Amino acid sequence: MPEFVAESTSTYAPAVVPERGWFLARTIIDCIFASFACLLVCGQIGCSTHAKRLATPRNHFYDGRLDECKEGLEKLSKSRHDKDVVNLDLAMVDLLSGKPKISEQRLKLARNRFEALESESLTEKTVSMWTDDQVRSYAGEDYEKILIHAFLALTNLLSDGADAESYTLQLQAKHEELVQACAERTKSNTQPSYTPLPLGFYLRGMLREATLRDYDDAIRNYEATASLLPHCQPIQWDLNRAKHGTHSQPGNGVVYVFALVGRGPYKVEVSEQPTSDALLIADRIVSAVGPYKLPPTIAPIKVPDIALPPTDVDAVGVSVAGAAIGPTYSIADVGQLAMDSYRANRNAIVARAVARRVIKKATVAAAKETMKTDGLASVGMDIAGIAWEATEGADTRCWGLLPNDIQVMRIETPKGTPSIQLTPLRGGRPVGPSKQIDVTVIDGRNTYVLCWFPDARSQSQVITAQ
Amino acid sequence: MDRREWLGMFGFLICGPALGCKGYQYGHIIKPDAPNLVGSHEAGAEVFDPLVDEAVAKLLARQQTVTPDTPCGPDGLPCPKTICFVGIENKSMEDIGDFKDKLYQQIDSRLLEASTFRAISRRMVDAALFETRLRPDSLMIPDNMRLFTAVLERNGAPLDYLLYAVLTSGTTTRNSSTQRDYDLTLELVNVHTGVTDKQSAEVRKGYHKTAAGKVWNYNPFKR
Repeated sequence: MPEFVAESTSTYAPAVVPERGWFLARTIIDCIFASFACLLVCGQIGCSTHAKRLATPRNHFYDGRLDECKEGLEKLSKSRHDKDVVNLDLAMVDLLSGKPKISEQRLKLARNRFEALESESLTEKTVSMWTDDQVRSYAGEDYEKILIHAFLALTNLLSDGADAESYTLQLQAKHEELVQACAERTKSNTQPSYTPLPLGFYLRGMLREATLRDYDDAIRNYEATASLLPHCQPIQWDLNRAKHGTHSQPGNGVVYVFALVGRGPYKVEVSEQPTSDALLIADRIVSAVGPYKLPPTIAPIKVPDIALPPTDVDAVGVSVAGAAIGPTYSIADVGQLAMDSYRANRNAIVARAVARRVIKKATVAAAKETMKTDGLASVGMDIAGIAWEATEGADTRCWGLLPNDIQVMRIETPKGTPSIQLTPLRGGRPVGPSKQIDVTVIDGRNTYVLCWFPDARSQSQVITAQ
Repeated sequence: MDRREWLGMFGFLICGPALGCKGYQYGHIIKPDAPNLVGSHEAGAEVFDPLVDEAVAKLLARQQTVTPDTPCGPDGLPCPKTICFVGIENKSMEDIGDFKDKLYQQIDSRLLEASTFRAISRRMVDAALFETRLRPDSLMIPDNMRLFTAVLERNGAPLDYLLYAVLTSGTTTRNSSTQRDYDLTLELVNVHTGVTDKQSAEVRKGYHKTAAGKVWNYNPFKR
């Protein structure tokens, strides 16, 4: 390697300037290795999203193989980034395996974790601008935070019911808090479009009526439920009974059948093509007229979106001792809540993805400017930049084992141990095999039954309060 | 150390603690003589505590008056009146949430502390309502009242009075400020004669969208 000695006025040893061509070759090789290393490292983060990792346990769950589902979820929960959201799925598995107390503990842990993560970490925010949103701790979507409280109330009803009322109050308070936070985030005076869950008001009304004393509270809550479900006739019956009647006649008890119907929402990764196209045009314009040459936007911007799987069950028919009572009615449209709450926050997610791309392009442009690269070296760095952008993945972490709808049916029946038959319906017609269960009805008290019919073919689960 | 190094270290010192301080919440015990937090959107302890204190004090003061008809014991002192506190009806604009049971216990405790009344346990009241399946607001119907008192007497709790507490509110709005008047009314009904006594207390509270709302609407020059 020839060496060129530069004159120096100092007493130090003369500086050695290597040949320019050798330096260029080394830079190109470094860029290629850097992009390859980037692909290897970032691929661990970007290529395998939560949606893909959850696919197998979900299938096991809907096939009724709860033990295998639990095994798969427990493996996923070892990952630091997934453990909070997988805990929610494990709570559903425990609930439908007849372990409401364990389910309640998991839900409380998830609730506390999500509340702690509501304030963002500066470190995670910064790192996510250089990688993708999957490195951030998952603080839960708004609909998940509301549903945690709803399921806390349901699981508690199925164990001792001591805290169910508190959970219903927390559910309402949480909804108001989230609506306010959303309005502050968007700096808007208009309320977000997602409405409160009627479930919270209904459960509170149900519990207050069961005291046989606080009918005024029951009326207030049933009125709130009726205002959210104006076309639901059974709610009008409940309201009328709270206004003029009593909880039950002497010698009778009440059975509440809560039905979790259909397969619920989950997140999938989609390409935000219009934004990607606009960014491509923008970076070409900047490269053409500006001093910086930006890597082109070839890899599309990936964002999560809510997917609602089709369902072939829309209600559950209830019969007691062979006599048909009627179908359950909806008090919580989980799918609609997920869509509405996600839509309210989607702009922020897309904006963050765009900001991330801009930062990455600026980083590559700055590196090219500093190293004064051109020709092949510049192309190499552009390729590295494109590879860096391509390894981004959407954050598809979500509570994946939710129902599409939560429904209820109230039955007043004489005390004893009647047999209840639950049949999945679609359009009022049976679409699957019925499930039969014996319940204990106590004079003047409520008995709770929880059942899940995800679809006509899947194994349904039924549990009662102990 | 040059300026850049110094700035970098200073920035790290400022940002460093912020990186680790997310999501914490802090609590402290409030001393008994410290004032209550004033709720910004709804009534809270600052409204309900004085309401209960005043309403119960007025009722006890009135009921402690001895008349020639007041039954007395062998020692000449008036006999304590057996009272059944049926419950609290919330007819106000706001949902009082977890305050309802707290208010019940507060009123019940105040009544127990006074020698004027001998209160029937809430659990016995609930058991009687359970057995009879009567609504609390239907106890004024003579047949229902007889049935309810019969059940309590059978359980060893003869009854003289029924007590109802009713929470009401009135709202006045002026631009971005609101005044809400909270009333707690205690209604005492003699089950033998049907004679009633009623005492109430009122607390007025203002809600303002801006910090200057209080000064603008409630200053001495406004009258």
